[in-house]
Amino acid sequence: MNFEAIIGLEIHVEMKTKSKMFSASPNSFSRDPNTEVTVLDMAYPGAMPRPNKQAVINAIRVANALHMTIDQDVYFDRKNYFYADLPKGFQITQQFRPIGSHGYLDVLDKEGNTKRIKIERIHMEEDTCKQLHFADYSLLDYNRAGVPLIEIVSEPDIRSGTEAMHYVEAIRNIVVYSQTSDGKMEEGSLRCDVNISLRPYGSNKFGTKVEIKNINSLKNIEQALDYEIQRQSACILSGIPIQQETRRFDEASGKTVLMRVKTDAVDYKYFCEPNIAPIHLSDEFVKNAIDTCPELYDAKKERYLKAGLSDKDAEIILSNIDMAAYFEKAIEGAKSVKTVANFLIVEVNGYLNKQGCPITEFPLQAKDLTEISNMQEDGFTHKQCADIFNYCLENEGTSPADAKAALKIEKQISDDGAVLEFVTAVLDANPQSIEDFKAGKDRAIGFLIGQVMKMAKGKVNPAAVAKVMNIEIRKR
Amino acid sequence: MSYLDLTIAEIHRALLEKKVTPLELTKEALERAKANKENAFETICEKEALEFAATLTEPEEDNLLWGIPYVAKDNFSTKGIETTASSNILNGYVPLFDATVIKKLREKKAILIAKTTLDELAMGGSGTTGHKGITYNPYDPEHKHQIGGSSCGSAVCVAAGIVPFALGSDTGDSVRKPASYGGLVGMKPTWGRISRYGLFPFAPSLDHVAYFTRSAEDSAIVLQALAGRDEYDSTSSFKPVEDYSSKLGESLKGKRIAVIQEILDSISNKELLDAFRKSVEAMKAAGACVDYVHFPLDLLKSIYATYIVISSAEATSNNANLDGIKFGPFRGGKTYQEVMFNARTQGFSELIKRRFVIGSFALMSENQQELFIRAQRNRAKIVEATNNILKEYDAILAPASPKTAPVLGSSSSDKLSNEYLIADNFMAIGNFAGLPSVTVPLTFIDGLPIGVNFTSKAFDEAGLFSIIQAYEDITGLKGISTNVRKEAKL
Amino acid sequence: MKQITKEVLHDAANRLLFDMSDEELDTLMEEFKILTQQMETIGHIEGLESYAPMTFPFDCMVDYLREDVAEEPLPREEALKNAGSKMDNQIKLPKVVI
Repeated sequence: MNFEAIIGLEIHVEMKTKSKMFSASPNSFSRDPNTEVTVLDMAYPGAMPRPNKQAVINAIRVANALHMTIDQDVYFDRKNYFYADLPKGFQITQQFRPIGSHGYLDVLDKEGNTKRIKIERIHMEEDTCKQLHFADYSLLDYNRAGVPLIEIVSEPDIRSGTEAMHYVEAIRNIVVYSQTSDGKMEEGSLRCDVNISLRPYGSNKFGTKVEIKNINSLKNIEQALDYEIQRQSACILSGIPIQQETRRFDEASGKTVLMRVKTDAVDYKYFCEPNIAPIHLSDEFVKNAIDTCPELYDAKKERYLKAGLSDKDAEIILSNIDMAAYFEKAIEGAKSVKTVANFLIVEVNGYLNKQGCPITEFPLQAKDLTEISNMQEDGFTHKQCADIFNYCLENEGTSPADAKAALKIEKQISDDGAVLEFVTAVLDANPQSIEDFKAGKDRAIGFLIGQVMKMAKGKVNPAAVAKVMNIEIRKR
Repeated sequence: MSYLDLTIAEIHRALLEKKVTPLELTKEALERAKANKENAFETICEKEALEFAATLTEPEEDNLLWGIPYVAKDNFSTKGIETTASSNILNGYVPLFDATVIKKLREKKAILIAKTTLDELAMGGSGTTGHKGITYNPYDPEHKHQIGGSSCGSAVCVAAGIVPFALGSDTGDSVRKPASYGGLVGMKPTWGRISRYGLFPFAPSLDHVAYFTRSAEDSAIVLQALAGRDEYDSTSSFKPVEDYSSKLGESLKGKRIAVIQEILDSISNKELLDAFRKSVEAMKAAGACVDYVHFPLDLLKSIYATYIVISSAEATSNNANLDGIKFGPFRGGKTYQEVMFNARTQGFSELIKRRFVIGSFALMSENQQELFIRAQRNRAKIVEATNNILKEYDAILAPASPKTAPVLGSSSSDKLSNEYLIADNFMAIGNFAGLPSVTVPLTFIDGLPIGVNFTSKAFDEAGLFSIIQAYEDITGLKGISTNVRKEAKL
Repeated sequence: MKQITKEVLHDAANRLLFDMSDEELDTLMEEFKILTQQMETIGHIEGLESYAPMTFPFDCMVDYLREDVAEEPLPREEALKNAGSKMDNQIKLPKVVI
């Protein structure tokens, strides 16, 4: 029997603003504990919250990309509870007036069809402390306390692990390309919690919800949900009731594992934050925030496809925002966008993978890559260009022009007339090979072509040689 | 008598004429502070005060607070000086930053000589619940009477002539009530007029920085130094700071004053009512139009409960940061919950715990609509009624308390009587609506002072000061303290 | 609305992370009796549904937001100066069980 999976996602995104959500503490995600805190972050009495303009701008941009209605009056609320990582004993959030509501995202489902996932709300709030747990004690680092967060809550419209993965990927692309966040799941700057319940197809009642927390990669989202759907189906079929639980995903085993059973819902006693004067966002402010948003993933992809890139190539380049940035610099003044893309995807990526370094540390400037790829358009062979490329990398600071000179690279001859001279000379010198070819030994032609390359010291275009050789040998 | 017993304006003249120096004033204020028997102090910052005073050698003519000693309620954050809010949960807490008002006063070269006692965490009105015990009324050397609260220590310092002005805070009437019991000018300006950055929050939607002086003129001087937009307090007003002394000296002619009849009706003390009515006649004689107006009785009676519910709810949340982990005494425990639990159980007094439970109860999801939200709606209704009166009048006037300072240890008045609910608690209107509101002395009854309260339109502090200065002339009680005794005219 | 019993109040106190003795709870129950009657004064006010719940004393809506500029953080020793239990530049607590 098949069950319908009812899945909703809650995504928390850490914003990479220069200062925190309500305090002006630096927000550089420093690893040195307690070096990025102010009196407000540690909840000293009398400190007061001051909302961050850039955080609001980022929230508007993301809400807009998700087709949401934006609430132009900004109010904050207190979510009251006690926990070791919550210095004030409450979190400032937006419970009653989220900045964005009623949005959607179109994603591909399992079958490859486009599906619309409705998004309930997007709101701003602040992050909690970091806790480091040891055998019998825990340590608190307040650097993260107060970091600006965006929370995005979907409706339970998602039906499979694949859809969930695509949804998170699309959201990640939006927050990364709008320069809102690094969106790194493995580092915690994008955190994903899933709620899933099953019900028989056709039923409109909801089953018991299970929460899965701390899934730290896109692939794991799909796997965790696939497993959980299986697990819950098996339970239901065996008559074992589903408990309201919180589970985590164990990557090694590919299973979800119980963390804790959900006790009664906590009463957060939400009320409007009286220490923050509400802010009215003018139409102009909202429009400006949207208009000045850096180009998003979808728009870039469309542009790349128009320029002739394949879907796959575009996705490879766009999978890393720094690579996309490098690419866009490199195509300025490029004769062929596709050639630049190929160099990037093959040669550059090859180098980066080998060296284990990110493109931001790549020693070759974008404009140099442009020059090299333009050389290929001018008639130099790919191998010649690759040699120049490698020379520049091995001799940092060398320009492509200088590298070409150093390697004594010259354009290969491909003019048929010139090639004919070489071919004629080689055929004249190798009558046996001609006989071998006539006798059906095709390999003879390869040998003869090689002889031409040798005689021309590699300065002829192999394709042109092959073409002429094939014609001339048949005349003999 | 010394220069300390004069008003700020008078001391300023003496300083300019080099008749006295800031160091001399400071030394004397410190002596008086140390000799004081009313238990008004948390910390006397002798060293810092003397050091600072010694640097002040060239008087600044246009700076009226230059070289003037003052005290601050111990719920103002003072960098490097222990600040406890009179609660054991903050024993030993040394703030890392100054409240904006402390910073402003230092820039004006006023000299902080001490932090004063308060009802614990500013949540109280008797001056008896701070961790140092009872703070007494300086008008009764036998210590049988309260000074009120929560700004008890600050009230004592000005009433006893230790300093000419003192910072307090006012959430329901915590400056304006002790001002009545201490014969002082207790001023609470418009909400947002003075930055609350660094003031330990009790109930932010009701909290105000407020202060004591001994004259209307001084009250204007202090506000001039404290008012203004502060980027560190997002609720502080962008309205430009006016010249608050500009209307001083204006007569009462043409001023329209509304006296709420129902408040008078709830008072039984005949001497008070008599003196009050005389002052009303005197105002009329001076050209003011004084009308007895009506305020719906049931709405007046509901003020206290509205205040308790809203303030306790906000307070419970504001004080959730007091857990002994980041600051305050660390009490240990086997789990983090125990650590917090031990700190809070041992650190909070019984009274505070009761207030927190009340606040929490009002916010519980099952109760929130009926208690907290309903109180918030009622606040709106009370504010509407108050502002409606102020559409037609320049100020609302009523006695600031139904009696002089209560006797300590006496059984509390009937908490359900009109006198308690209305006459004793109506000043919370000034907090609900954020309106500028000030208590000034009216008369003495059996040797104890008692005052009246004026409340005016939002941001009309200049108008308010001119009214109370004229009132000072009527009562003849400008500048009084235990060292400066005057005969009440009324 | 939740019924007011000693257990409810004790539980409320514990959820606020402090304890109250039996006598303290008795006092609180007494206080609640009076408070309940005082709160009835609000209950008697008619037409409250037509008033929006008021958080701020008056309309204080602004169009101002803090520019995203980082200020000097607290020096670490300062930030941790008041903490009673520290280790390795962090605040130390008993192991927090998730």
